[in-house]
Amino acid sequence: MAARKLAIGYLYPEAMSGYGDRGNLASIMRRCEWRGIATEVRELRLGDPVNPDEVDLFVIGDGGEFHQRLIATDLADVKGPAIREAVSQGSALLAVGAGYELLGRFYQPCRGVELPGASLFDTWTIQQGADLTAASCTITEARADRVIGDLVVQWGDDLLVGFENHSSRTYLGLTACALGHVVVGQGNNGDGLEGVRLGGAIGTYLRGPCLPRNPALTDFLIRTALLRRYADAELAALPDGLEHTARDTAVRRLSAVKRAAVAAS
Amino acid sequence: MAIDARLLAGLAAEIRRGAVIVTGTNGKGTTCRMLSAAMRASGLQPILNAEGSNQVTGLVTTLLAHASRSGRLPDDDRDIGLFEVDEGSLPEILPQVSPAAVVFTNIFRDQMDRYIELDYLTRRWKQCLRSLPAGTTLVLNADDPRLAYLASELDNPRIFYGLADIEHRRSAVDCTSDFPRCPRCTGELGYSCVFYAHLGHWECRHCGLARPQPQVYAAKIGLAGSASSRIQVVTPTSEPVLEIPLPGLYNAYNAVAATAAATACQLPSIALPAVENVTAGFFRMERVTIGGRDVHLTLAKNPNGYTEVLRTLLGDGRPKHMLLALNDRASEQQPDVSWIWDIDFESLRGLVPAAVLSGNRAIDLAVRLKYAGWMGAAAADLAIEPDPVRGLNLALERTPAGQPLWVVSTYQVLWQLRDWLCRQGLVSALWDS
Repeated sequence: MAARKLAIGYLYPEAMSGYGDRGNLASIMRRCEWRGIATEVRELRLGDPVNPDEVDLFVIGDGGEFHQRLIATDLADVKGPAIREAVSQGSALLAVGAGYELLGRFYQPCRGVELPGASLFDTWTIQQGADLTAASCTITEARADRVIGDLVVQWGDDLLVGFENHSSRTYLGLTACALGHVVVGQGNNGDGLEGVRLGGAIGTYLRGPCLPRNPALTDFLIRTALLRRYADAELAALPDGLEHTARDTAVRRLSAVKRAAVAAS
Repeated sequence: MAIDARLLAGLAAEIRRGAVIVTGTNGKGTTCRMLSAAMRASGLQPILNAEGSNQVTGLVTTLLAHASRSGRLPDDDRDIGLFEVDEGSLPEILPQVSPAAVVFTNIFRDQMDRYIELDYLTRRWKQCLRSLPAGTTLVLNADDPRLAYLASELDNPRIFYGLADIEHRRSAVDCTSDFPRCPRCTGELGYSCVFYAHLGHWECRHCGLARPQPQVYAAKIGLAGSASSRIQVVTPTSEPVLEIPLPGLYNAYNAVAATAAATACQLPSIALPAVENVTAGFFRMERVTIGGRDVHLTLAKNPNGYTEVLRTLLGDGRPKHMLLALNDRASEQQPDVSWIWDIDFESLRGLVPAAVLSGNRAIDLAVRLKYAGWMGAAAADLAIEPDPVRGLNLALERTPAGQPLWVVSTYQVLWQLRDWLCRQGLVSALWDS
């Protein structure tokens, strides 16, 4: 088998890696490395142009409200067209939290003008609850409308586990497909759906970070990226016992919490 | 809560010498213990809150413990309040205490499920500082860009502290950095020297705002492995050399923070060397002896703290046997352990020949180490035992005779271990010390 190599575009590595997001990159790189697939990471910062032919897999992580404002216009105007082009050519993409929100049509903060989105996904996001930028906003107020907790999603035959922490609600347009169905947690907006999927591009509220405990999702992204570049997208099976144990432990623990909550009510 | 706040205000007002508040993400407790040693050497009697009792209720409890039966504090002009304050609780506490000085240690990602985000927390700090009396001194870490110009519109006196010994710089900002932007123009920052994370000698590439010159700084730092350090501190009035029984650059920061706070309190310079009398707090490389073997207990609860503790322990390049533990706070619905992916385990692989992983999220830690390459060519011999006490005993069995065991963990596991050690009679109960 000829040596295969993937180019990974890591969007805003400083601003948008606030919640262990480097774990997603590590997951992709290690699982390529263990199969003899070379990777090259291109860090795409504010102002950097993107060549759609040169990136096989984009990763964008999560950031706070300040970072969202910092990157929104750059993502929409400087990088958005190239990202849309690359995904339409078959590139893979993983967007988490604020990164997911800003790849939709727009983001409406609870105060002030809306932030532009890169319009890769037919989604939009409305921030609810307390205005964090208000000087008097207390922690109790800030937490009141936030969804903070474990998130389990049915994705085809697989369960994805993660953690969500957001005050925004994301809505899917008519042409958008959800990533999966919520088993535990809130997901997009409480309507039972979580995330979005467009070809090989995935947007999600799953943090944790989401890939290490969900190796099937990582391999989906790698396979998508390989298909764009090579006829051969075969991935050797890896010993994922530890990852599956971590995922199953989380699911078991949550089932117990859920049962206790039902019993108490 | 409202009653506690009023009680706090009333009691704090009775402390003859007023109070000093120490807040920030890491180093609060150690800085307080160092400062309290200098206060005692100055003939003062610091009223210090206990580890973890750093929210409104904890402060009230601390003060009530000093009060007479009538609920009033003794009228003693040697009394001075010294309060470690939870970074999220500062806005509730500050207006009640009206401190003589507020010391900020640093701000890092920590408990994002509780404090939401760093910029929000900093904004809350700025807002509450506006209620300060004009005479309160702000003691600020010049090397932390989010803190150096905190509330710079206020006319309060300020004392900056920092590290000057660039011998200990690292090549670049590392993955535990929170990548602050310029506090004036939000431009990108450049560093001529990074000590760790985003602490260092910085300057805005856009508007030129730079790290303020500290009045109190560590001119020379000698790190003696995982046990102690020697720090030559410069203050406006003296140049004490401190032999600190605590290791690591982060304790050098604690020492200069304490010295700067002592300067703000106008403690006599002859009292400054007393900072060396600091003892390790609970779980700050605290040493216990089990079956003739040294066991060091160390708390690490955020990416920066965990990384610096590991770097300090493993910095001498000698392989160490470890018990690494991780728990979430499931009882409070705070299950986020994503921060372990920002710990720099990658650069430390190969330095731990064997480790037991423990705590209710031990498996997540195992996955983390797998992806950090700890199970590849330079494999550590890893065992998973979620139960802390069984984990400790397993780790002791696996550690060769004569070698110490290093325990690095989040709070809950350490408390469970301490509780067990107490029942074994190996450590004294918390309330004894």
